[in-house]
Amino acid sequence: MIVILKGTQRSQQAGYFERMFRLRHQIFIKELGWPLPSSNGQEIDQYDVDDAVYFLDVTDDGILQASVRLVPSEQCSLVADYFPHLVETGDAARDPRVYECTRYFFLPLKGHGRDNHGARVRVLAAMVEWGLVNRLSYIQCVVDMTAFPGFVEMVPQTIPLGLAHPYGGGRSAPGGGECIAFRWPVTRDVVDSLRTFGRARRRRFVGENARDLAEQIPGHAGERSPELMH
Amino acid sequence: MLEADPYGKRALDFVQRLQQLSTYEEISAHVMKELEWFGFRHLTSFSMPAPGQQFKDCMWFNNRPSDYIERYSEQNYVLRDPVVTELRQNLSPYSWSDLRKNRPLKKEEVKIIDEAREWGSRDGMMIQIVTGSGSMSCFCPCGLEPDLTPRARTALEIIAIYSHHALKRATLKAQRQDIEHTPLTRREREIMQWVAIGKSDEEIGQILSIATATVTQHVENAKRKLDALRRTYAVVQAIRLGEISV
Repeated sequence: MIVILKGTQRSQQAGYFERMFRLRHQIFIKELGWPLPSSNGQEIDQYDVDDAVYFLDVTDDGILQASVRLVPSEQCSLVADYFPHLVETGDAARDPRVYECTRYFFLPLKGHGRDNHGARVRVLAAMVEWGLVNRLSYIQCVVDMTAFPGFVEMVPQTIPLGLAHPYGGGRSAPGGGECIAFRWPVTRDVVDSLRTFGRARRRRFVGENARDLAEQIPGHAGERSPELMH
Repeated sequence: MLEADPYGKRALDFVQRLQQLSTYEEISAHVMKELEWFGFRHLTSFSMPAPGQQFKDCMWFNNRPSDYIERYSEQNYVLRDPVVTELRQNLSPYSWSDLRKNRPLKKEEVKIIDEAREWGSRDGMMIQIVTGSGSMSCFCPCGLEPDLTPRARTALEIIAIYSHHALKRATLKAQRQDIEHTPLTRREREIMQWVAIGKSDEEIGQILSIATATVTQHVENAKRKLDALRRTYAVVQAIRLGEISV
């Protein structure tokens, strides 16, 4: 089930938010070692604003399996704030019809086999569909270069905004690497690409600890926001 | 915002044009034309075969001279070629000359790299592409005097990622068109998936809470659609046609 939440619903849907922030802490801070702000085992940053939109994939047993955050680039833009040098196309990083996608994670679950592959793209497809309804033109994102081929594999229409640039001392430095900015056009074609990819085979198991954590957190599957679900 | 230099501009234009192409011939011609600008004459682009899969089925493009490929294969160089063995320890893109500089090479290893000169390649790049699905692929252009400056390498990485996916997609699409078949239903796929891992009809029936006879009927239907007399061959066909995975 895909649950779509607005930043304004943080207290109303506290169960979902807490689970998501805890998993983000586990994945991005503990497992990936990103230097992000955290408090009480939750990762919440300056882009978790009222206008942020969250897409959550929740299994029938209430496990949060995937999530992604979408923010209006005019208000919050990682590209504009920290990585303007990644844009070599001349496009403006902030635009009312361009939203930015951050904090994407996906946790394959044991015993879910084939469905794991679908779960990997479901939140992303939901995000682009939301973009279609809300008349966005592009969704942009900054990723580590090692993750980039995966995005091109999912969506062949992926548009690079420039070449990759080093961060944190580059590939040879511990914790460093190269990153790239890209855009997905918000079109029916992109939704179709994601759906086609989701139907294809694949499975992979990562984030064991995060998955265990997801299972330990008391379920809140009963909490639903009918008007925002599809 | 920075202005794109010739490398950035070329790579971004390359991607834009590539996204408009659909046939394998158009895509491979576009890729080779771009690589030639960088001084590459040959390209090998492949994925690591999954268990049970043949290497030739994971080769997306290879225009190295055929007598060179023959010799390479006869001598079983793949086990000793430092450009290949480096893959075990290095996920970042590297060139043949990087290996000469950074790693003490054995005489035999130097000989393997040097031999390629006779077939028109003094240097090349090895760009690995690991996707979220966990599959690993290599994009290896080579030539006499390729441009291996830092920005050229960064541009080549983008070119490699897009070219690899486009060549792979076009190859698989052409293969699918070669073998016309009626697609399996969701239930048939689900059951063939269980057959593929060795479950009996009875076991599958228990897993899915349906009668054994129903399972057998679904398998028979799948066999007919996959043009297979035996269920083992039906599994092979189902994998080849992308209906199931193992």
